[in-house]
Amino acid sequence: MTFEIKHAEQLSRGELLLRTFFGWLYIGLPHGFLLLFVGMWGAILGFISFWIILFTGRYPQSFFEFQVGLTQWQTRLNARIYNLADGYPAFGISATDDSTNVVIPYPEKLSRGTLLLKLFFGWIYVLIPHGFVLFFLSLGVMFALFIGWWIILFTGQLPVSIHNFIVGSLRWSTRVRLYMGNMTDTYPPFSLD
Amino acid sequence: MEYYPLPQPEEISEREKEDAMGAYLMMFAAVAIGLPLPIINLIASIIYYYINRKKSRFINFHSLQSLLSQIPTTIINWALVIWSVTIIFKDDWKLTPEFWGYAIFAGVSTLLYFIFGLIAAYKARQGKMYYFLFFGKVAYETSYKIKPENGESQNPVNKPPF
Repeated sequence: MTFEIKHAEQLSRGELLLRTFFGWLYIGLPHGFLLLFVGMWGAILGFISFWIILFTGRYPQSFFEFQVGLTQWQTRLNARIYNLADGYPAFGISATDDSTNVVIPYPEKLSRGTLLLKLFFGWIYVLIPHGFVLFFLSLGVMFALFIGWWIILFTGQLPVSIHNFIVGSLRWSTRVRLYMGNMTDTYPPFSLD
Repeated sequence: MEYYPLPQPEEISEREKEDAMGAYLMMFAAVAIGLPLPIINLIASIIYYYINRKKSRFINFHSLQSLLSQIPTTIINWALVIWSVTIIFKDDWKLTPEFWGYAIFAGVSTLLYFIFGLIAAYKARQGKMYYFLFFGKVAYETSYKIKPENGESQNPVNKPPF
């Protein structure tokens, strides 16, 4: 899986302030409203895909592409919410973006055994260990966001280390979500890379 | 009336078969989002049909058949929901034999719909046609009937004076 958000050499301070004070209105509200319904559709397709995988061992390709598009949309939105990129995130599951690059390879076959293992024991061997680490990572991300906000305000740049840390955390949580969403059989590594 | 030839299973791609099968599984949409309202399945079927109807005639047929066959089940179950709500809030939980009769009828109808829906999904996955009573014919007519090209009307509106 490829999950990248391009490091911006220069970030606009005006956009930073605009996003901070009015982002909820002009980004959060319209995207959140649409993503609520598109996310519901994603949940329906995800649930149905579970049964299809159980019987056929394949994730329907159209459903998979929809879920990939949804992930790309969420990543575009997150890139702005976390002040990693400027500009307005594009709407839609087939839209593209210069700042983000999310590629999830389509698995031709998925293991039914792993599927059932995830269903019954996923919370033990995925959610608890990863959730534990992600909880502390999210605290770190909040701190990094706060520090990064002031650095962008004064210098117009987000340090590469802070950028990589936030992107790594997003990548980590995305990998866990893909695994638990039955889009891959590869156990998510405990790594930011 | 002329119809497009029906594709044979080996002529249909895996993706088409999967998309056709998915149409019937929209009957589980309400379960998927945890809202036990019969209308959710119908809405999901409508959305699915409009997203997929232009992909191929095979997908169009199955998704339309799935959508049309959802309508009676939705109406029957909605009537049960409304009746149940009336009993709970107005009639002080007084369950009449008529209500039980209708509840069993609705349950059996839904169960039958699930069984036939699953059979249809299985057939669609194999690249086969499967016709429901009445709805199968309507879906076939809509998907496979050859329609006149754009601008080529069978009954022209503008005619010469002689």
